[in-house]
Amino acid sequence: MSATTNFVAAQKQNRRNTLLLLAALTVLAAGVGYLLGAVLEGGDSVVSPTGVAAAGLLAVVSVLWSLISLAVGDKMVLAMAGAKEIDKADAPQLYNVVEEISIASGVPMPKVMVLDTEALNAFATGNRIGNGTIAVTRGLLDKLSRDELQGVVAHEMAHLANLDTRYMVVVGVTVGLIALVCDMALRTLNWGSVQRRDDSKGKSGGGLLIIVLLVVAILAPLAAKAVQMAVSRQREYLADATSVQFTRNPNGLISALGKLAEAAAPFPGVSRATQHLFIVNPVQTFTSKTPALLATHPDIEDRIARLRNLGS
Amino acid sequence: MSFWIIVGILVAIGLWLIAVYNGLVGTRNQSQTAWSQIDVQLKRRHDLIPNLVQVVKDAMGYEQETLTKIVQARNNAVAANGPAQAGPAEAALTQATRGLFALMENYPQLKANDNVKQLQEELTTTENKIAFARQFYNDSVNSYNTRRQTFPAVLAAASLGFGPIELFNMPESEREVPKVALR
Repeated sequence: MSATTNFVAAQKQNRRNTLLLLAALTVLAAGVGYLLGAVLEGGDSVVSPTGVAAAGLLAVVSVLWSLISLAVGDKMVLAMAGAKEIDKADAPQLYNVVEEISIASGVPMPKVMVLDTEALNAFATGNRIGNGTIAVTRGLLDKLSRDELQGVVAHEMAHLANLDTRYMVVVGVTVGLIALVCDMALRTLNWGSVQRRDDSKGKSGGGLLIIVLLVVAILAPLAAKAVQMAVSRQREYLADATSVQFTRNPNGLISALGKLAEAAAPFPGVSRATQHLFIVNPVQTFTSKTPALLATHPDIEDRIARLRNLGS
Repeated sequence: MSFWIIVGILVAIGLWLIAVYNGLVGTRNQSQTAWSQIDVQLKRRHDLIPNLVQVVKDAMGYEQETLTKIVQARNNAVAANGPAQAGPAEAALTQATRGLFALMENYPQLKANDNVKQLQEELTTTENKIAFARQFYNDSVNSYNTRRQTFPAVLAAASLGFGPIELFNMPESEREVPKVALR
């Protein structure tokens, strides 16, 4: 019983972190917008009207973009990966396992889809509880035992239950927006510095702002990316733990992760844009290590070690 | 003056009774819904077992004893009434099916039979669903029982007709190792 309470507490904490990080990313986007506006305006008033307008505009664009992504994002991801919906007759065992975990988790039955590839992988999408999809590859169905499949499905159901799928869409949009705006800022500075030479006025305040904007424009996208990846890794750990809460059997997921580590392979329709959705990273090969800060997934050895701790 | 004080107290008691009543009804309904989920799965299992016995009967002619035992366990489970009786009966049935599955390992022609494979998968998933639904049911029942036993609801629960609800436990009897006959 106490174990369950720990999981619930972890989920609550994660929801709070989610809001904090999202707020931080929005503030970062608005800040960059403000700096950009202020530099463009070139005045020395403390509050730059153009800056405030640009910050507001960016916040609005960020929210709108997020809403659009939430509305159509999961359909695009499924279409890109070439997932096909199945019913019980096509893969009875998979369908049964999803039904079991749906009962265990209290999450309404999601759609079940299969990706026609030999690679071993699985992912979940959905913008709210009750409107989810769990997709697994054909290779996974062929190679995994029933208990292992149950562990993987429970991991995906955990992403749906914790609302990770929705959150990662919003974070991804915000990170993309920051990158876009910073890129714009750098281009503007490049163009502005040429213009300014003809300008006899030469404002000292403007010069300082330009330096700040330059530093922010270079560092902000990297920082945003690092935050996004940190969140993604944290979510994977939580989904592993929640999976065990549902199945009460860490061994299935442990041995499944072992098999996935050996056999995960890149397959068509997967790109860096969707890689964070999968149970193990489908783009990265496991011989070449991504720098830890920019990895979407924690090291599989590390995930297995943490699951072993849960089991003991 | 004192008339209005008495009216005020009566209204307060009335509001309190409504709150207690609604709280108890909500948790009791959740428990009943949870039980009906289990019941669906139990019935499904009761329906599947005769089919399985029918399919394996010819090949496993020598295992009459095991087959009789599983049919008997199934009939006991069907006859059981309410969670408290159903628990042990269903646990015995789980035990019996596991024994049968273990014995079936000795019959390669059965393991290759699609019909048998399908029935085995259906029984496995039904058993898992029972286990997962049981957890949810017991959690709901615990929260209902705690609510009706704690102060101040305990003062009114019995007179409003809210009795205790039984938990659904499936005691794991000591694991019976199926005898493997070497002939």
